[in-house]
Amino acid sequence: MSIEIQGVTKVFGDFKALDQIDLTVPSGELVALLGPSGSGKTTLLRVIAGLESADDGSILFDGEDATTRHVRERGVGFVFQHYALFRHMSVFENVAFGLRVRPRRLRPSREEIRERVMKLLKLVQLEHLGKRYPGQLSGGQRQRVALARALAVEPKVLLLDEPFGALDARVRQELRSWLRRLHDEIHVTSVFVTHDQEEALEVADRVVVMSGGRIEQIGTPEEVFHHPANEFVMHFLGNVNVFHGRVEGGKAVFGDVAVEHGEAGTATRSSEVEPLDDEAKPAKVFIRPHEWDIAVYRNGRPAMEAVVIHVNAAGPVVKVSLLSESGEPVHAELPLEHYRSLELRTGQRVFLSPRKVKVFFD
Amino acid sequence: MAGAAGHFGGTNKAGGRVGTRDPWWMRWSLTVVAVVFLAVMLILPLVIVFATAFSKGWSGFAAAIAESESWSAIKLTLLAAAVSVPLNIVFGVAAAWAISKFEFRGKDLLITLIDLPFSVSPIIAGMLFVLLFGAHGWLGSWLAARDIKIIFAVPGIVLATVFVTVPFVARELIPLMQSQGREEEEAALSLGASGWQAFFRVTIPNIKWGLIYGVILCNARALGEFGAVSVVSGHIQGVTNTMPLQIEILYNEYKFVPAFAMASLLVLMALLTLVVKHGIEWRAARSHAQAVDETVGAAATA
Repeated sequence: MSIEIQGVTKVFGDFKALDQIDLTVPSGELVALLGPSGSGKTTLLRVIAGLESADDGSILFDGEDATTRHVRERGVGFVFQHYALFRHMSVFENVAFGLRVRPRRLRPSREEIRERVMKLLKLVQLEHLGKRYPGQLSGGQRQRVALARALAVEPKVLLLDEPFGALDARVRQELRSWLRRLHDEIHVTSVFVTHDQEEALEVADRVVVMSGGRIEQIGTPEEVFHHPANEFVMHFLGNVNVFHGRVEGGKAVFGDVAVEHGEAGTATRSSEVEPLDDEAKPAKVFIRPHEWDIAVYRNGRPAMEAVVIHVNAAGPVVKVSLLSESGEPVHAELPLEHYRSLELRTGQRVFLSPRKVKVFFD
Repeated sequence: MAGAAGHFGGTNKAGGRVGTRDPWWMRWSLTVVAVVFLAVMLILPLVIVFATAFSKGWSGFAAAIAESESWSAIKLTLLAAAVSVPLNIVFGVAAAWAISKFEFRGKDLLITLIDLPFSVSPIIAGMLFVLLFGAHGWLGSWLAARDIKIIFAVPGIVLATVFVTVPFVARELIPLMQSQGREEEEAALSLGASGWQAFFRVTIPNIKWGLIYGVILCNARALGEFGAVSVVSGHIQGVTNTMPLQIEILYNEYKFVPAFAMASLLVLMALLTLVVKHGIEWRAARSHAQAVDETVGAAATA
């Protein structure tokens, strides 16, 4: 089922949690709402579910207006951040709940309910734990019970609020790829909320980056990572070095480095005027840590001088902290093999040339 | 006995952590203080109540209870409890629900108001009703014209009991429901449950223990209330005397055996509620443990 959100606004007291949100989620897609806390992502999810009512705007399911539909009639499965499992019910009873509360004429028989619950428990790999209570499960198991419970009512939309937020790193990684596989299997339109950019980029078909109750950018993980629409998205999707410089003669200039830049974006939504090429215009220059080339000698390419301060070589990607000549901290990342061939030491003077820069005008 | 159990538990389990073990004299002196205090303050009075009640044997006890005035006092007390406990449950759950699940103006005021019967003296509570419904009270002449008697009659007793017991269930449930939040109810609704289904299948089981505890406290207070009831009662023997009031009258008339017979009944009712509470807790714990055993067994075989 597709979801269309049109001009949805939600205000709590003086706080505008959602400001004129427009978003379409095509049927069968897995979409991530990504943003820092307070960006409105959870509120948007709750408005879609009907747990919160929009002050303005409308929600359409498959083109049908569902704005005023009660949460129990929306046919959404909602997985809560802290799972909200019924603590006095066993795992089996939790999953069966949605079927057992149906009015008599729509309720499956006892046997059918049993069969369906066992099938779902098998799907989430918990068939042997049906009699346990939520308090006796690990975080990852609770998460999967919550998912099975939401799927039991055969929702047309699956909504997940920070599905992996409360789990430790290893379980999180496992569940992430498991969720992706599950979605590929059952193809229910799904929206999940996260503040973890890695999670969003890894799992989702499309990523919606939000901040301050507004949508900053919508796109595939590749699009939002490589072509951020603005400074906020650039900052939020991974580490980035920022230099205050200018654009002059078609080149990005910062310090004494001048390089070609790709498409220039605007820092704010309002300024969309591209300056003339030969006119110098102040701008911020963004360079991702992995987009530096580090050389021990000057090799003719435009480069900034820097001193190595600290090296973290634990892992396949080596993280190098440096200090530029003008005293700015710079972060660089390079593959382990490359790092070994360079033989970098702390205190060493090196030359940094950016392979790719992104410019946003002030 | 408690001291000995504590001692063995300490040496067995804490054998490895000598550093955190308290010296023997501290364990013993704390235990002795607790036991002596309990004996003097709780057990001795209980023994005296029953000893005096049965000082003229079972027949003396039975005769004291069977007296018509005492019997009517017992019935009136049970009536007051039977009315105020259900009212308290309804009000307590509704108030706790409103306070913990919704945001509204005047929430703090409502919480403060619920505490009012706790903070004012029961005598004042009784006086309030006399001022309101008494012959010279605000509504007195209106009630008199319609021949409705509240003060110095059974309705007054019930009203005063309801008033002093108002906070019990609500006070137990408010912090409990606030800490539980509303996510489970939201989950139930999103799974298609109606409001009532969510309430009876999710909310009530979650607050069950708090509710039972509140009911027990409320019941104990309803049975034992003296001050407020004393003001509105008028002490008409056989009509508006509750058990505590009847006990006082009997005691003042030096009828020790009947007085303590009534007192022992009140104590029995209190003990009974405690036994019921423990029974329920024990059964719940056992059924829970059983479920765990079964799953552990099933997991082991699988």
